[in-house]
Amino acid sequence: MITITRDDVDIAAEIEAAKRDTTGAVVTFLGTVRDDGIEALEIEAYEDASLPEMQRIEQEAIVKFNLQSVNIIHRVGSLRIRDNILLIVVSGGHRQEAFAGCEYILERIKQSVPIWKKEVRKDGSIWVEEEHPQE
Amino acid sequence: MKVRLKAFARFREVMGSEQDLEVPEGTSLKGVLVLAAEGSDKAREALFSGDDLKEYVVLMRNRKRVVRADADREILSDGDEVAVFPPVAGG
Repeated sequence: MITITRDDVDIAAEIEAAKRDTTGAVVTFLGTVRDDGIEALEIEAYEDASLPEMQRIEQEAIVKFNLQSVNIIHRVGSLRIRDNILLIVVSGGHRQEAFAGCEYILERIKQSVPIWKKEVRKDGSIWVEEEHPQE
Repeated sequence: MKVRLKAFARFREVMGSEQDLEVPEGTSLKGVLVLAAEGSDKAREALFSGDDLKEYVVLMRNRKRVVRADADREILSDGDEVAVFPPVAGG
């Protein structure tokens, strides 16, 4: 399940929902707003393109790592220090595939999903530069 | 024909988030961006270096990536949605 939302996330509920009778591991990644001298972090998404791209990533990860469930929630809007930005919850039969699958999803999101961050500072605002080649 | 142009992040700040453009049949994806930048020095500066798109410009047509080098061969159809944005930085 893929969600882009302005609202905060109920992490415990998402973890519980990831469990199956055959689940041996639930791995969670939670990205949060770090205090780099910023006042806020504004997150913008091209939702019509981000949702299908994250669905592709979800399906890739399920097949590649034999995952039982994948849940990705990316927040948009103006966030404060310590706020949750991105939650990825994956479940699998064993920890190795769950860890690897969760990391794969995170790196793929950073690489290709059209979402941007703008740091709001006292002396102005700057867009965060990406770390991945785009083409 | 009509084409919808969406811009995001710092490109949105200079071009606006969305505009519907009336363009001639046979217009390419790059052609739409040239037209959109015509009235705005800031938009032109953000997207172009001379006649070429800058290397950090990312393009989509109907929510699918188009390689920048193909932008002038990508001929648009009526009702297409073109998106232009800087490198992504989600997660």
